Amino acid sequence: MEGLKAALVLFVAALLQLSILTEYPPFRTGSIVLVVLLQVALLRGSIFGAVAGFCAGLLLDTATLGTLGVTSLLLTVAGFWIGRYGETTARDRAHAPYLSVAVVTVLYAFGQLILQFVLGEPAPAGVVLRSIPLGLLLNLVLTLPVYVLVRRMFAPAELGERVREVRLLG
Amino acid sequence: MPRNRTVRLAVLGSSVQKAAASGYPSSRSSALKRRIVVGGLVLLSLVLITVSFRSSALDGVQGTAATVLRPFEIAANRVARPFRDAVGWAHGLVNAKSENKKLHREVQALQLQVIQNEQAAAQNAQLRREVNFQGPPSIADFDRISTEVLTNPQSSIDQSVTIAAGSSSGIGDQDVVINPSGALVGIVDKTWSHVARVTLLTDQTSSVTSTDLRSPTAVGEVHPGGGNGVLVLDRVQKSKYVGVGDTIITAGTLGKGALPSMFPRGILVGTVTSESDTDVNPFKTIQVKPAVDFSSLQSVIVLVPHR
Repeated sequence: MEGLKAALVLFVAALLQLSILTEYPPFRTGSIVLVVLLQVALLRGSIFGAVAGFCAGLLLDTATLGTLGVTSLLLTVAGFWIGRYGETTARDRAHAPYLSVAVVTVLYAFGQLILQFVLGEPAPAGVVLRSIPLGLLLNLVLTLPVYVLVRRMFAPAELGERVREVRLLG
Repeated sequence: MPRNRTVRLAVLGSSVQKAAASGYPSSRSSALKRRIVVGGLVLLSLVLITVSFRSSALDGVQGTAATVLRPFEIAANRVARPFRDAVGWAHGLVNAKSENKKLHREVQALQLQVIQNEQAAAQNAQLRREVNFQGPPSIADFDRISTEVLTNPQSSIDQSVTIAAGSSSGIGDQDVVINPSGALVGIVDKTWSHVARVTLLTDQTSSVTSTDLRSPTAVGEVHPGGGNGVLVLDRVQKSKYVGVGDTIITAGTLGKGALPSMFPRGILVGTVTSESDTDVNPFKTIQVKPAVDFSSLQSVIVLVPHR
């Protein structure tokens, strides 16, 4: 049921991004799909985040007729990482949604640039660097409404379901 | 001290390990599961990238999936249209008065121009018939397929759009795409049955042989400029005259080369905004403002050659 809800909310976000928001150039710097994914991952954990990221990326790559897997790879890693953050140090931290969106927006832009470069496609670093501040601002503005909506759909897990301990590796 | 102690236990210095709560997977198995899932998804993404990038094996699947998504995208566009129109209307109101004045002046100038052009066109057609002139292909030699834009560029790097028509409508790779006003948008990059991807003129890989309408011997190559939507007309000899405000059009095929241009002659590219010469550059430095507003493409026309 949770998977279905996540699929629905990400599908609507993808449609919103693909058909409406990106018609206005400033909105091309931000990504509502990324913001929704990060909030879902934050509330539902790393595995859920990684799977949701992979599916959302595949949807975007398919709809834009781009190279399959590129957005999936970036969103999988983003969903997993923020999901892990949500499971561990981000518990009940009010700044967690904003911090995760801010950090991942910047890293996502660089990740996209690096993948484009590796694939031999045009990768104008200047354009990406210039677009980061506006993208960051837009994503941060979107964070609060999206978080409120996603939190309503995915109520935070009970204490017992959360990770109970953090193991030291060293 | 055991290696797998908890933080709290480590702080307290206890050697007693806390048992995993019953009913939940142990931390070890949960961590393993997590690694397997994320590792598998990353691997799958890399496989998808490799297969999609190196071959066309996944094109069928991608085309089918994109066709399935098409109705949803069209529906979203239709739902958003009233809001978009409202925004456009509000924006138009702000500039309406000044724009009205400017347009009145332009209409007066253009009325005179139309009369002259009609006379010239009639004379041109008559002379062509008399000398049996065989010129390069023009827009008139192509079929036009009007279609809706499904998705716009998704990021600052992306310079492509998807359109709601594909090979089933006769569209093929490398077909030229113009906007409803007849200005150059780009070329079809890849086609599927009911959808196609168009690479815009502003993409770093785009380039088109173009010429100045007023000075047809000033031929150069239009390609994207510094990333702010400006185009550059490059490789124009310094001896040729190009003025600010001049109209730049596609040059079409020059001479009888083995590789004809894929762009027919006479498609509007843009207007010259600046022109300069420098000692270090053997060619002119010309900036061109595109005639197409790439930020708000709603519909386009694909020029399909008679196959």
